Parts: sequence; structure tokens; C-alpha cells
Amino acid sequence: MRPMIPRFVRLALVSAAVLGVTLGAQQATPPGPVTNQELLDGLKADGSNWLTFGGNYANHRFSPLTQITPENVGSLQPKWTFQTATLGNFETTTLVRDNVLYVTGPLNVAWAVDARSGRQIWRYRRELPDNLTACCGLVNRGFAALGERLFMVTLDAHLLALDMKTGAVVWDAILGDYKTGYAATLAPLVVKDKVIVGVAGGEYGIRGFIDAYDAQSGKRAWRFYTIPGPGDPGNNTWQGESWKIGGTGVWVTGAYDPETNAIFFGTGNPGPDYHSESREGDNLYSCSLVVLDADTGTLKWHYQFTPHDVHDYDSTEVPILADIPISGQPRKVVMFANRNGFYYTLDRTTGRVIVAKPFVQTTWAKSIDAQGRPMLQPGHRPDEKGERTCPDLTGGTNFWPPSFDPRTRLFFVNAREACATFYAYKPEYVPGQRFTGGAQQLVNNRDEKPFGAFRAIDPATGERKWEFLTPTPSRAGILTTASNLLFTGDGEGNLLALNSRTGTLLWRYQMGATLHGTSPVTYMLDGKQQLLVPAGTTLTAWALPDGAGNATR
Amino acid sequence: MRVLAVSAFAAVCLMGCPVLRAQDTGEPPAVNPLSGNAVAIQTGMGLFRSRCADCHGMDARGVRGPDLTQVWASGRTDGGLFRTLRRGIPGTEMPSVGPRTPDDEVWKILAYLKTLAAPTATDVVAGNSQNGERVFRTQCAGCHRANGTGGRLGPDLSRIGIARARNAIVRRVRGATEDFLDGYEPVIITLKNGQTVRGVRKNGDLFSVQIMDGRERIQGYLRADVKDVQPGKQSAMPVFGPERLSESDLNDLLAYLGTLKGFDPSVK
Ligand code: HEC
Ligand code: HEC
Repeated sequence: MRPMIPRFVRLALVSAAVLGVTLGAQQATPPGPVTNQELLDGLKADGSNWLTFGGNYANHRFSPLTQITPENVGSLQPKWTFQTATLGNFETTTLVRDNVLYVTGPLNVAWAVDARSGRQIWRYRRELPDNLTACCGLVNRGFAALGERLFMVTLDAHLLALDMKTGAVVWDAILGDYKTGYAATLAPLVVKDKVIVGVAGGEYGIRGFIDAYDAQSGKRAWRFYTIPGPGDPGNNTWQGESWKIGGTGVWVTGAYDPETNAIFFGTGNPGPDYHSESREGDNLYSCSLVVLDADTGTLKWHYQFTPHDVHDYDSTEVPILADIPISGQPRKVVMFANRNGFYYTLDRTTGRVIVAKPFVQTTWAKSIDAQGRPMLQPGHRPDEKGERTCPDLTGGTNFWPPSFDPRTRLFFVNAREACATFYAYKPEYVPGQRFTGGAQQLVNNRDEKPFGAFRAIDPATGERKWEFLTPTPSRAGILTTASNLLFTGDGEGNLLALNSRTGTLLWRYQMGATLHGTSPVTYMLDGKQQLLVPAGTTLTAWALPDGAGNATR
Repeated sequence: MRVLAVSAFAAVCLMGCPVLRAQDTGEPPAVNPLSGNAVAIQTGMGLFRSRCADCHGMDARGVRGPDLTQVWASGRTDGGLFRTLRRGIPGTEMPSVGPRTPDDEVWKILAYLKTLAAPTATDVVAGNSQNGERVFRTQCAGCHRANGTGGRLGPDLSRIGIARARNAIVRRVRGATEDFLDGYEPVIITLKNGQTVRGVRKNGDLFSVQIMDGRERIQGYLRADVKDVQPGKQSAMPVFGPERLSESDLNDLLAYLGTLKGFDPSVK
């Protein structure tokens, strides 16, 4: 059936098209293709768009927008809600450009959504094989953009380029064989003409890597194996042949430092996760930060947070870069709150540890020594009888993004306080099957329950400036703004707005589902600041009521 | 034929332990191919402790699930137990091990469990279940439903005879609470006017709490609108010491509870 459009309107549309008249000619010239300069600028210019996973290459998730303030945040109103009509949940960072949202959802469905109305413009859906092995949720963490293309990885370990205007596939590159446990979930990182991605599958005996593909052709430009092969330095940190199936996936987006052309990626746990007799040694570069040349993929330096990990402490958290004064000296640093319970400030050029301090209860290591090695506590190697360690396997924090406010120089992390009894038993390696050699039992009883805490950390000292406690742990990422707002979600589905200087609660709204690994983003739409919140299978856009907030512009 | 093939597997297993794939089973073998295998038992201990002990106890004598040390003595077979683990018990808290657990891990768990097995059933039912039912009606039914009648402040006990070990029930009735059941944690709300409401907590977060109170009223309260919300220290279930419930009445009660094996609500 044809839509019922009044005849005169149809005529008007036709004549506009024929004459090449721009509808709404008073609008400013629409932006052209996404440029590398825009990616380099991040949110710096005006914060009207959101074009990379972390808002900027340094992953600050800090917006310069100030229309929404601590005073008026309580009057935010929902403008629309978008529903995925899929199973699973959003774990994505939404990209925003020219009043259109680009968002990836569960099961590798993705959409372009009109930011004004919440209506779909196009939808992409990947046909996934039935026998997917993807370990830990059929999720995706977002798009990257360059030119007129979006880039997205898939659960069956492909990298796709989609046409931003139609959602059509432009090219399709294979990262690895999903049948042997390879999968991909991270938001790609675009640097210059390359699309940089990694693979998941650390629970399936894969050999992890970071790949770069030419954004134009989809051809692979380089590959960095997160586990060195024979003859390469570090291969001797794996016993026997264990390097071949040592896991060490890369499933969270890294940072980029244009000054040194370096990319910073956190790496996953070694496999098998808990039963480690078959992989004696430090197991480089598992549970590490690897720093690579963005053009060639060659390793500049690495820092291993957890040598020979046995608690599944993937270091796949989001690294944040900044230049900050420490003890009166200007320092170029990378900040990292690790699943293993320690917060780190590292020198970004040398990889030396400047600060390393637990930000949650941590029992497996006493401290980090001057060489940057954890000083282990005895009795924390799991076996069949079980041993108790804090944090639990989900960790002090995890893949959900932290934020950094460059004005106050505070690092914000969504922390978990939890302990577990870890067990290990000998696994057999079968390609494509789970290969962990153990499990944990969360400590959760009347006297000891896991809880959550949003914490502000001073990266110069590792000290806590404030905290906001919640009765259950949460998996929400964090967004901060130049008007001292911090947006996040608790473990029970409440969207929270805190004062980022003090940690006091300003506003909350029950979304009906948690922000799972996602964080809100903010941008401008027709002169009004918007807050976009993915929760469960919905996206909701919030803004101040008409007339409010404009005075502060 | 099937059995032969599997025992060949088991023989190889002593040297290299191949994984018996979850997919390649039509009917599981009737006898555990890894029974008595020391390596399998060792791994089985780790698997059992991490995946089953929370409900069945480290010693398998039952906490939030039944005693498993008597399953063989009560007539169950390796093959039947294998199926129970593979499928779980639908409609109960007993989960399936899941499709990602290969068959050989299931056999390893059972190989370990066998080392804990009692030679004969020790839970002999000796009480008078008719008197037990009377005790239940007077002492328990105010808070517990069984087969469609009774109160709702406490959990439905229609399947308690299967779902919990006898010892765990005794401990619970006599008042030793290791933990409150999810959805039944005691909570005390003090209203702005000073009045208190006692109940069990159904849900809650930083800003609100949802409860069932002593009159079975279900109701939510915003924390901002009340004076105080405190978790209770004592269970909503009273302690039934010997002065309230004699040894012999308890015995009869247990005999009655043992007959509760599930409520079928379908209209016939
Ligand atoms: C969440 C709690 C829970 C976990 C975890 C659990 N079980 Fe159970 N299990 C139960 C409950 C409850 C029942 C009784 C179900 C019913 O009502 O019939 C049960 C029943 C059983 C039975 C049947 C007993 C009989 O008498 O026939 C077996 C066997 C069993 N479980 C073994 C296991 C094993 C082995 C594991 C670990 C792989 C396990 N269970 C994990 C709660 C659990
Ligand atoms: C005043 C209300 C009340 C009375 C009377 C009461 N109970 Fe309970 N019972 C509860 C509540 C509430 C719980 C759950 C909270 C807890 O475990 O503390 C419970 C838990 C239990 C459980 C544990 C159930 C499970 O799933 O593990 C058993 C068994 C039980 N009661 C048996 C009895 C028996 C037998 C009687 C009578 C002798 C009785 N109760 C009387 C309120 C009551």
C-alpha cells in the first residue's frame, strides 16, 4: 500500500528533488565525510558529535558541553525511546554525527537512528552461524567511523565496513576462524587510514592478536600476536607448546597518542584461565598493556600487570591518556584501573610504573614493587580444593569504560567489591571448546555480599577523593561533563547523575534495565544538549524542557 | 557395542584423557566409564566444589539442594544420574550442567560423588505422617503453602520432600539459619509517623524497597518517604525449639514433609 501523502506535498517533494533544492535551505552546509582531523579533535571543538569509542583518542569520555548542569539536571525529560526488538542487551558506545546516531546492538544488529525522533533510518543484521562459540555474551561495543564508512566487528570474527548512509556492507574481512573459538566484540579504533581491531576467545584456546586493516580496501596491513611465536622475545615465557593456545584476546578498544603515533591496548587473560600447570612462566603479553606503532604494529613497550595470571584477570579495561603534573613535574601518563584490583599510573613513554595502588580490596598481591612486579601473597593459586581471593573473577573493575576530567584531573572508575573461591582442575584442549580449567564461587552470604562503588581517584597519588556506594555491583560505564556532572548507572537499573567533584547524587531515573558495559554519551541537537542512555534493549534520549538551560549557553 | 566403545575410550583416558564430546551421545552409557579413575576423581572434586557445592554442600549432604550421598543407595543408576545432570530437573532449582560441559566432565563429577556415597540409605522415615500433617497445619501452614493451601510469607513447601535434605530441614526448623532465602530476607521499615512495618524483602535498590508484610500485603516504599529501612537480624520464621515442637512431633512433621513431592496445579 502506498503511504497516504497529500498530493500537493508529493508534488512539492518531487519538484524540490527535480530542481535540486535543499529542503530547509536555511540550514548550515551539512558536514562532509568524517575526517581524520575530526577524530584527532575528539570532543574538543564543540562536543556536538561523538565520533570515537572514548569520545577522544585519549578515552576521556569527558564532554565540554555545559547546558545540563548540577542545578537543572533534575528537570531532564525523556524525548524518545528506541527498542531493539532483539534478545540480549546493548553494550555499545553510540556514535553521533550530523543528528544521526550509529549504534551497534546484540547479535550484530546495528542501526542508524534519527536523533530528533528516535526513528530508525536503516538497520543492518548479520546472519550468524548457529554454532557460534562466542564466550561471554553476544554483544558488540560499537562502531568506528571514517569517511562515509562505519566499521564493526562480528561475533563470528569478521570486520565489516558499512556504508554510513545505507548500512550496506562495503567490505568484509575475516579476522579468525570462529569454529576454533575466535570472536570479536570491541569497537574498532581508526587511526589515519587504518582500522585497528582485536579478537576475543581467551576461554577457547585461541592465540590472540591485534590487526590493522586498510580502511579503503579492507586488506590487512599488519598483525601483532599478543603471544610471541618461537624465536620472538617472550616466547620462552610459555612452557612448551602452550603459547599456541594461550588465549590473550583483545576485546576492549585501546587509546591512541598522535604525538608518538602509539596505540595502547589492554590484553586478556592467558588460557587455560585457572589451571596453569601447562603454561608455567610469565605468559607474555597476557594481562598486559601493549603499546604498538600504529603504522607497523611493532611493539614499542609493554607492561604486564599480572604475570602468570590464574584468576581470569583480563587487562581488557580501557586505558586513558593524559598529561598531568606529578610531584611538580609534568608527566605524560597512561591511567589504568585493572580487573586485578590495582589502579596504575604509568609513564606513557617508558612504561615505568609511577603509581600502583589497590582501589578495591585486593588479596592476591601485597603491592607492586619498584620494578613494577606484583609482590604475591602466598596461597592464591587455585586447585581442586579451592582458594579464596579478592577481587573475584569479574574483578575490581572490568570492560565498562572509566572517565577522566582533565580540569580536575580526577579518574572515575566503577568499582566492584567482591571475593570468590577459585577452583582449578585439569582441562583438555579441544578446538572450539571451552578451555578454562576451573571456575569460581562468588562469596555471597548474609555477612559478606558483593557491592559496588563509584570512585574518584587522583592519578598523581592513587588516592581516593570520593566514593558513592551502591548495594550491588554495577557494569555501567561513566560519562563526565565540563559542568561537573557524572552520568552512570547502578546495578539495579537506576540511571544516576552525580556531582563529579563531590560524588553527591543529583538525579536518578529507573530505566528498567542496567547500563551493561555501556556508558551514556552527550551531544548537541538543534541547540539543545542531549543525553543518550543505552540500557538493556533500549536507547533513551534526554534533554531539558523547552526554555530551560538555554541561559547558560 | 556402545558400552564397548566407551570403555575403549576409558582405557585410553588413563594415558591421555580424551574429551567425550557432548554432541556424540545418543544414549549415555549405563555405567560411568570413569568410575574409580583417580585422575577423574581429582578433577571431579574441583568441578563438584565449584559447580554443585553451593547447593548440595561441600560434603554433598545437602544445603539448598538434597543430600546426594544416598542417591545410589536409594536405587539411582549412573546412567540416570548422568541424564539428571545433563538435563537438570525442569521447574526446580536444579540446573542443567549446560551444553558447554562435555560429557567427560559430567562423568568426572559422578566419579567423585561416588567416593562420597553412603553404602545404604540412612534417611529412614520413621514418623507418623498423619500427625505430622496436623502439626504442619497448626504450626507451619500460617506461613507456608503446601499443595495449594497455606500462607505465603514463607516459601512454598510443596516439593520440600525432594528439594531439601532432611538434616537441612531439621536445622532450619530448630532455628539455625545459615542464610535467608532470596526474596525472604527480613526487613523492618520505620514510617515517618514512627510506625514500623515488618516483612520479607522481595526486591529493592538504593531508592526503594519492595516487601511482603506480616499480613501478606505486598507493597513498595520509597526510601525518601520513610524514616528508615533496616535489614532484620532474625528470620521471619520463628525458632521451633523442643519446647514448641517436641522431638516426636518433629519426627512426624519430617515424615509428612517427606511426602511433599511437588504440587500439580492442572485442573483435572
Ligand atoms: C542452584 C542450586 C543447585 C545447583 C547449583 C545444583 N543443584 Fe542439584 N539439585 C538442586 C535441587 C533443589 C534439587 C532437587 C530438585 C527437585 O526438586 O527435584 C537437586 C537435585 C539433584 C539431583 C537429584 C537427586 C535425586 O535424589 O535424584 C542430583 C543428582 C543433583 N542435584 C546433582 C547435582 C550436581 C552434580 C550438581 C553440579 C553439577 C548440581 N546438582 C548443582 C539444586 C542444585
Ligand atoms: C511466621 C512465619 C513462619 C512460620 C510459622 C514457619 N515458617 Fe518456615 N519459613 C518462613 C520464612 C519467611 C522462611 C524463609 C526465610 C528463612 O529461611 O529464614 C521460611 C523457611 C522455611 C524453610 C526453608 C525452605 C527452603 O526452601 O529452604 C523450611 C524448610 C521451613 N521454613 C519449614 C517450616 C516448618 C516445618 C514450619 C512449622 C514447624 C515453619 N517453617 C513455620 C516463615 C515461617
